[in-house]
Amino acid sequence: MTDSATAPRTDALAWVAGSDAPEKSTVNLGFLPLTDAASLIVAATQGFAQPFGLTLNLHRQNSWSGLRDKLIGGELDAAHGLYGLIYAVHLGIGGSPAVDMAVLMGLAQNGQSINLSAPLKAAGVTDPEALRDRALQSGAQLTLAQTFPTGTHALWLYYWLAAHGIHPLEDVRTRVVPPSQMVAHLRAGRIDGFCAGEPWGAQAIAEDVGFTLATSQSIWPDHPEKVLGCTRAFVEQYPNTARALVMAVLEASRFIDQGQENRSSAAQLIAGGEYVDAPLASIEPRFLGLYQDGLGNAWQDAHPLRFFAGGAVNMPYHSDGLWFMTQLRRWGLLREDPDYLAVARAVQQTALYRQAASALGISVPESPMRTSILMDGSCWDGTDPAGYARSFALHALADDPMVQAL
Amino acid sequence: MLRILLIDDTPRKVGRLKSALIEAGFEVIEETGLTIDLPERVEAVRPDVVLIDTDSPGRDVMEQVVLVTRDQPHPIVMFTDDSDPDAMRQAIRAGVSAYIVEGIQAQRLKPILDVAMARFESDQAIRAQLQAREQQLAERKRIELAKGMLMKMRDCKEEEAYTLMRRQAMSRQQKLIQVAEQIIAMNELLGQ
Repeated sequence: MTDSATAPRTDALAWVAGSDAPEKSTVNLGFLPLTDAASLIVAATQGFAQPFGLTLNLHRQNSWSGLRDKLIGGELDAAHGLYGLIYAVHLGIGGSPAVDMAVLMGLAQNGQSINLSAPLKAAGVTDPEALRDRALQSGAQLTLAQTFPTGTHALWLYYWLAAHGIHPLEDVRTRVVPPSQMVAHLRAGRIDGFCAGEPWGAQAIAEDVGFTLATSQSIWPDHPEKVLGCTRAFVEQYPNTARALVMAVLEASRFIDQGQENRSSAAQLIAGGEYVDAPLASIEPRFLGLYQDGLGNAWQDAHPLRFFAGGAVNMPYHSDGLWFMTQLRRWGLLREDPDYLAVARAVQQTALYRQAASALGISVPESPMRTSILMDGSCWDGTDPAGYARSFALHALADDPMVQAL
Repeated sequence: MLRILLIDDTPRKVGRLKSALIEAGFEVIEETGLTIDLPERVEAVRPDVVLIDTDSPGRDVMEQVVLVTRDQPHPIVMFTDDSDPDAMRQAIRAGVSAYIVEGIQAQRLKPILDVAMARFESDQAIRAQLQAREQQLAERKRIELAKGMLMKMRDCKEEEAYTLMRRQAMSRQQKLIQVAEQIIAMNELLGQ
């Protein structure tokens, strides 16, 4: 692997025939039933991989912990992954011994949501202030679910709660529930709310058991969401396969984002029983950026779920990886500061991504850092991660690592 | 413990190989003669290795080996007295992982079987890779054929034809190759 970009290749077959041919031509890809797995599903089924000499076999998983085990065990070569899961496994805090991991590319930005139950809606708990009052009053604590102890949804939920003055580890109880089981848990009253990917927020509204209180893009517009993850050993053993995989998924991502008709047909595809297995009516509107929150508000979102955006979604920015580490540190999941930049550089496969994107004529930003302003006005640009992790009023830096109810 | 299906096709040696295998620490299920249905026995016994002990591997033996290799690949080791290179080549082509002429000693069995299993695994991996590549190429050809037909029918450019095929496939929750096959079939039906 080198940092230098390879010349654009117009004939994909030349790629396969040359010495850059994939070392392994069949790739087992894991995914969870979520709309943000669309680019993997489209890549595998719509002929995007064959031109690069690959066959992609999709394997739907029920939970993030199950996906983690198969990824580490080698049953899956690569997978739809949570930033928080990949980094936690790499740092040895993901519920398994530390394994060197790799982020090959970003798969999606935006499109997650925090949802509360119908009983809370009936009680008038429909805005952040009412939720804080309810959380801080004495009596039974609210139980809010996320999808993996160190996962992205835990971190979105914690960030949002803390920005509204609710301490996520003291003022509410949190628990882990696989995304596709959120609606059933909400209906049964086992949880009072959840943070997960779509279509599960929309489905809660469709089944009249909940409403959407906040979208993840309202926390951080164009935030990094799912990634294509694998073990470092996989990239080292099969670098050509990894690059071909990134190219196939990039092509599929570009295709999905190429207009409304492509998006609508992609929504129809992923609704299928083998994939997300949910009604199209719960998938398509938010997949097209059309939101309604179950409280009577409807809007076309300015920062909806997106897969490509000219490659902006897919670049594995160091600053994106760093941000998740700062939040793991903020909430005491990391007991001490890691060597932030060294870890991000090891995990984010920017050189491989640069080769793949350049070969397809997709522009790659010069800097591996980007600057964002989050909901509470804090600026994140990737510099001084240790200071950023300490910059929040609400945190759990000094506490023992929290004990998660699994 | 490795489970071995031992096919004894040499009445002369009965018991010798079996006791050597048991001595070397293997679990042995023995069958006499090759009048048995080998694929059926492999299915029932689920051995780690199939070991065939035969004076000279005749056509019947080879046919059974070919059937096992095709339908339920297993490491197959052949012990024989036949040192004819042609017989050896034929056996390897039929799917035998190791072909051992004479000289059965208990201490040699373990490494022979280990090599046979390793060889089998790498053969299987190569075979799977080849199959996957062949299928990729075959699918690509069919998709391109269909794309060409669609370009003619719709009088459109290549990229548009791909997009139309993909939209059709996705909205029906199908793979691109399925839509390609439908276009080819329809084209044949219309005799174009």
